[in-house]
Amino acid sequence: MSVIETTNLTKTFGDVTAVEGLDLAVEDGEIYGFLGPNGAGKSTTINMLLDLIRPSSGSARVLGHDPTREAKQIRQRIGVLPEGAELYDRLTGREHLNWMAKSKGADPDVEATLERVGLSPADGDRPISGYSKGMQQRLAFGMALTGDPDLLILDEPSSGLDPTGMQEMREIIREEAASSRTVFFSSHILGEVEAVCDRVGIMNEGELVAEGTLDELRGELDLGASIRVEVADPAAAEHARAIDGVQAVTVEDNTVDATLADAAAKVRVVTALDEQTTVEDILSEDTSLEQLFNTYTSDSSADSATAAESESQSTEQQPAEVVQ
Amino acid sequence: MSAFGVMRKDILDVRRAKIVWFVGLLFTLVTVLFFYQINVSGGFRGLPEVLLALWNLVFIGALFIPAIALVAAYLSIAGERESGSIKFLLSTPINRRELVLGKFLSRTSVVSASLLVAFVIAAGLSVVWFDELRLGTFVAVAALTTLYALAYVAVAIAISASTSSRSRAMGGALGFYFVTNLLVIFGDLSIRGLLDYVLNDLLNAGVGQDPLTFITMVISPTQSYLSSVLLAFPDNFLTVQRLNPEEMAWYVRGEMGLALLAAWLVIPLLIGIWRFDRANIG
Repeated sequence: MSVIETTNLTKTFGDVTAVEGLDLAVEDGEIYGFLGPNGAGKSTTINMLLDLIRPSSGSARVLGHDPTREAKQIRQRIGVLPEGAELYDRLTGREHLNWMAKSKGADPDVEATLERVGLSPADGDRPISGYSKGMQQRLAFGMALTGDPDLLILDEPSSGLDPTGMQEMREIIREEAASSRTVFFSSHILGEVEAVCDRVGIMNEGELVAEGTLDELRGELDLGASIRVEVADPAAAEHARAIDGVQAVTVEDNTVDATLADAAAKVRVVTALDEQTTVEDILSEDTSLEQLFNTYTSDSSADSATAAESESQSTEQQPAEVVQ
Repeated sequence: MSAFGVMRKDILDVRRAKIVWFVGLLFTLVTVLFFYQINVSGGFRGLPEVLLALWNLVFIGALFIPAIALVAAYLSIAGERESGSIKFLLSTPINRRELVLGKFLSRTSVVSASLLVAFVIAAGLSVVWFDELRLGTFVAVAALTTLYALAYVAVAIAISASTSSRSRAMGGALGFYFVTNLLVIFGDLSIRGLLDYVLNDLLNAGVGQDPLTFITMVISPTQSYLSSVLLAFPDNFLTVQRLNPEEMAWYVRGEMGLALLAAWLVIPLLIGIWRFDRANIG
């Protein structure tokens, strides 16, 4: 049974269509990355799954329940890290965790939760008004984990965090993802979901434009893999053409470029060339994931490309539009 | 029920908000001042001082209590929508109806507690200054005043549940206060005065005072409250105030005031639940 399932899910605000005809299926135990530039309809979709927004048409099921009628049953079994939501200034970290545990009828193991998300016991005693954005996000993640939910829904979990905070948040998510629960999380930064997700769906302008494992998406786009080999005698390149998995070979001076159907052919190309001549250098690069992401989304939004690029270069700069 | 969970968590939060305590204490202070004034100036036409003090308290309460109730509750839901914290609240196992009810119960408790403090102090002062308590009238006035406060809490909750930002909630609360309270209490500049002028002076419709009172009761919890307190005072006291219930039409007597006050509590709450159930919380 799918943990999250949407059928032709659509939401319009006036004459703006935020989500259009979305068919989504997230399976039990998988980690699903919900990607797309800001404004692609990710948060609207999540808000419909959580019954914060009602669909204009179509339907959704979360853990077998219809959010519009059985939100309470859904909320009992999920953990949510909402986007752009402030915690309660006047309450302490500990009070937040206690409240969440009590509301779910769970054992309030506050100390363990604080430690799990990297907050000290002293942090737990302070009111939220004294928390940094990063600490708030960690506490919110701890609240989402409370009660050992079957499904975690994380909406832009690193939004508003500095690079270190983003890195740490990613580590925490990775650890939690290792357990058997299902995780659904949205991001406009590919690098964030890449390392943890079993499958990704890419949203653009309200529609799901691609879905699958990262390998599947690469194959679907036919970007393939490629390898560049510098050799002593370029004539040897002729032998590379016949190798299984090689789609094209170009030669320029001493450089042989081979486009491959799959990455496994790289070794065969190098081995074949090595038998014929002297291999001087090997340059190999995978299809850039940013390239993949941009292919699906760049036509509509320059922002997403910027976000993906700055992420790929380093984590030093956080995209400016992260805070919504 | 989960509404109590929402209530407990909300009380934990709101009891740390200074503004709510400030207006609550202000009412206590005003109560003390009015009792003191009667203590200094003494009785009037032989009427018991304690009844006079309570009578004055009703009128100052009619003005003050809506302000306390609205301030205590107008941000309860809209404020959380603006800050987004409502998304955390709605990630706990509750439905939207329980959220609205829980907020109502919480703000109701806070407002009732502050009124209770004021009335307990007033009772103490009565014993000390007037040497009598008139427990029946005291309890009845306290109960009706609390019901009056809860009606305005219900209205504030309805406004808060229907708006998505603090500024709109404030606009709604101020507007409601102005129309149903200020424009009811001050006779010359009142809705009732306007109705009287239009119906009787301009149109010569010859509408009596009782129907006008009834219309005002329907559109204002304040007028409903002022009519309901007739139930709390003894007839001979009211007769001296030229308010003999025997001479009034049945539909403007205390019982009708009480019934309309109860309606003013229930109907806004239902509207709030209905409106919030259909809201997009983006």
